[in-house]
Amino acid sequence: MGKTARPLLNPSAPVSIPLEWREEFEAAARRPLSQRMRYAFIRTYKPVLDDAPFRAWDSTAQYRSWCESNLPDWLGYGRV
Amino acid sequence: MGAFEYRQAEEIREKFAARGIRYLFLGKSGAILLGFPDTTQDADIYVERSVENCRALAAALRELGFALNAEQGAEIERGKDFIQLKNGPFDLDLIFAPDGIERFEDAWRRRVDVEGFPVCHLDDIIASKAATNRQKDRESLPRLRSFREWWMQRQR
Repeated sequence: MGKTARPLLNPSAPVSIPLEWREEFEAAARRPLSQRMRYAFIRTYKPVLDDAPFRAWDSTAQYRSWCESNLPDWLGYGRV
Repeated sequence: MGAFEYRQAEEIREKFAARGIRYLFLGKSGAILLGFPDTTQDADIYVERSVENCRALAAALRELGFALNAEQGAEIERGKDFIQLKNGPFDLDLIFAPDGIERFEDAWRRRVDVEGFPVCHLDDIIASKAATNRQKDRESLPRLRSFREWWMQRQR
């Protein structure tokens, strides 16, 4: 699955891996990339977001703000 | 339009490599390339904002089948911070200034190669998601951090 570069996060910070997740990670690692992608990429309609063929924002902050103002809350694009 | 497919990722890899475009898969699509088992809807790529790179990007996207008019092509060439494309064979977000990552060059140095796909390091993916502070990212971060721990253990 590729080679690593220098990690940024504190490697000594404790992070638990629930058994169920570990099993999922290991199962995924046994699948070829093409299969993992087939399982991972899905297509469902997202209201508003999918209604224009092209959008561009001058800043990422403007994009975040646009999402909060225009997208339904349940899509999860609002900031916490 | 269907979901993003492996063969389309291969096309990105080939077309972008042919033009020497510097980019990285970012977000959940990047994590998935690294092995993270989860679902997402579109591909996110972090692109180096330089005149040559952005020009080459617009040309490659047209080759891939994105229907860009002159104005849209110009916006890509200018490297606007965030661009959403839904006018091609798959949905693609172009990100020139992601939250949580200071400089493209830093992320490029830390990148991971997965079968020829340049992918942001998981630490950058996590930093970016944490910085956005969106509900959907908050929900995925614990699992992503666990995956990062598992993935780093495998590299040792």
